[in-house]
Amino acid sequence: MTEANRQTLLASVPDSFDTGPDWLRTLRTRAAETLRQQGLPSKRTEAWRFTPVRSLVDSEFARNDEEGPSLVSAVPAGVTARGLTEVLQSQPELLQGRLDFGGAPTHFAALNTAMFRDGLWIDVPAGTIVEAPIEISHVGPSSSEPGVAYPRVLVTAGEGAELTLIETYAGGGAGQLSNSLVEAELGRNAKMSHVRVHESAGLQIGRVDVRQDADSAYRSTVITLGGALLRFDVRCLLQGKGAECQLDGAYLTDGNDHVDHHTLVEHEAPECRSAQTYRGIVSGKSTAVFDGIVIVHRDAQKTEAHQENRNLLLSDTATVHTKPHLEIDADDVICSHGATVGALDQDQLFYLRARGVPEEFALAMLTYAFVESIVDRVSHEPTRARMREALLSRIPYGDEIREVT
Amino acid sequence: MLKIQDLHVEVDGKPILKGINLDIEAGQVHAIMGPNGSGKSTLAYVLAGREGYEVTKGSVLYQGQDLMDMTPEMRAAEGVFLGFQYPVAIPGVSNIYFLKAALNAIRKHRGEDPLDAIDFMKLSKKKAALVQLPDELTKRSVNDGFSGGEKKRNEIYQMAMLEPSLAVLDETDSGLDIDALKVVAQGVNGLRGPDRAMLVITHYQRLLDYIVPDVVHVLINGQIVRTGDKNLAKRLEKEGYSEVRGATQL
Repeated sequence: MTEANRQTLLASVPDSFDTGPDWLRTLRTRAAETLRQQGLPSKRTEAWRFTPVRSLVDSEFARNDEEGPSLVSAVPAGVTARGLTEVLQSQPELLQGRLDFGGAPTHFAALNTAMFRDGLWIDVPAGTIVEAPIEISHVGPSSSEPGVAYPRVLVTAGEGAELTLIETYAGGGAGQLSNSLVEAELGRNAKMSHVRVHESAGLQIGRVDVRQDADSAYRSTVITLGGALLRFDVRCLLQGKGAECQLDGAYLTDGNDHVDHHTLVEHEAPECRSAQTYRGIVSGKSTAVFDGIVIVHRDAQKTEAHQENRNLLLSDTATVHTKPHLEIDADDVICSHGATVGALDQDQLFYLRARGVPEEFALAMLTYAFVESIVDRVSHEPTRARMREALLSRIPYGDEIREVT
Repeated sequence: MLKIQDLHVEVDGKPILKGINLDIEAGQVHAIMGPNGSGKSTLAYVLAGREGYEVTKGSVLYQGQDLMDMTPEMRAAEGVFLGFQYPVAIPGVSNIYFLKAALNAIRKHRGEDPLDAIDFMKLSKKKAALVQLPDELTKRSVNDGFSGGEKKRNEIYQMAMLEPSLAVLDETDSGLDIDALKVVAQGVNGLRGPDRAMLVITHYQRLLDYIVPDVVHVLINGQIVRTGDKNLAKRLEKEGYSEVRGATQL
């Protein structure tokens, strides 16, 4: 790559799109127009108030040749995994109405729609129950040159289908930006468990959009192991009666990390349930943001929605912004939300030390327990073990804790 | 084993212990009795090294060493054990895993090799049986969802695992029904021995029917006002603290 190939993100968006099916060109044109009118977000954009994206918006990036994602597990029987480009060329009608289902995207999601070249479509047909996880990984180039990639994934699960998707974001030099968009469409009674691990050294903007039909269940577990700049959004649209989603997350930050997790659950149909539990360990001079919104629409009676964000603040120089909130237009609902930011429990620490556990080890044990409870809720045991391992690799005394557990 | 001389302790600037003298020999069980607010738990916490308790005067020698100079974990490694009145729950930290970390830290301090997983589990089963603590509870998160009786049995199980030289048991009887009390007392009695000293802190004489002390002290308003044998406890039960207090003022 030479510097001549570098452009700002906005300047790289073409004026017109001349490949692909008509409907895709319409989506891309609309996204490009939105970007031209609204630009990329700044600190004045409410939903991006705490995310320092100025440097991203002003920087120039070269487009990476490799976009990812790559499939790193076998494709289980009954499942199809195809490249988006290939499908768009041979059977574009299969994807029509499925990309950008969440409505006209803005900001970085619009940028992905305008720019993505390829991607992955994973389809689990109706009635297909897959136990083995499907694993995809996005590994950024290690180059220190500023580069950008736009990973795009579509997951469709038919009626009664079940799957586990593991996504890993790794690698990436400090100047590498990945701006990803994952969309998942769950049919009636479909179940999806979605584990996502952020361990990239680069800059990460990622979004997951889920739309759910009646009685479907979506369970998301996000593990964020630091990040120079990470912004993650997960949005669930509960469109069918009795659908449920569980959004869990654990983040560990240190040094000058900035990680930002946003959730949005829209209860559009009655009798849906949602629960969010995010926990963070915030150290060094890092900043962590949690912003969670639950919207209960007027017709979504008998909604149950819970939201919780707890943070362990391990240094005086670290910062947490937490903002769980509810917007409720229905009257027959059970909703709760809460947030805490605090230090480790001194009674617990003393108890462990009084039994002989050295202070630093005891601190690490309590710290690990705080976030391990999130991983503990992943039902697939080998995946759970991997998540634990990922946490242990980042926690002081990880080896000693592994030894006794 | 333990020699406390003229110990004065303040909490938030308020004097709680006002000149305690206590001498416990190896093999002895001493009981400290006293009404609420007399400073019993303060004494227990000071011996274990909890923060927030300021020693303003006096000294505590344990096996000839200055105990107040040591961190809580160092005291544990040297053989001091505190059985808590209110054992804290620690969700996410398994009882048995943290105990393995504790035991192996103590063994390391003594220059012994760490126990491997199999030997540790064998030991755990044996010790849990002493206090009839179900195996399943040893594997659960520390005290998480335990009943009052289970928490106290868990304390004695941990004591049996760690084999301390000096055990300080803070109101081990509180919240126990008579059956649970017998089980806990049996566990404690099983650990009595010529090399081990115990300091049993209690509000009621009842516990001392089952753990029979060699020496009984009465702690009132931060001072030991009476010392005697097990019969002192019985007298207290009959006459109440005010009588004993009155008698000392004569």
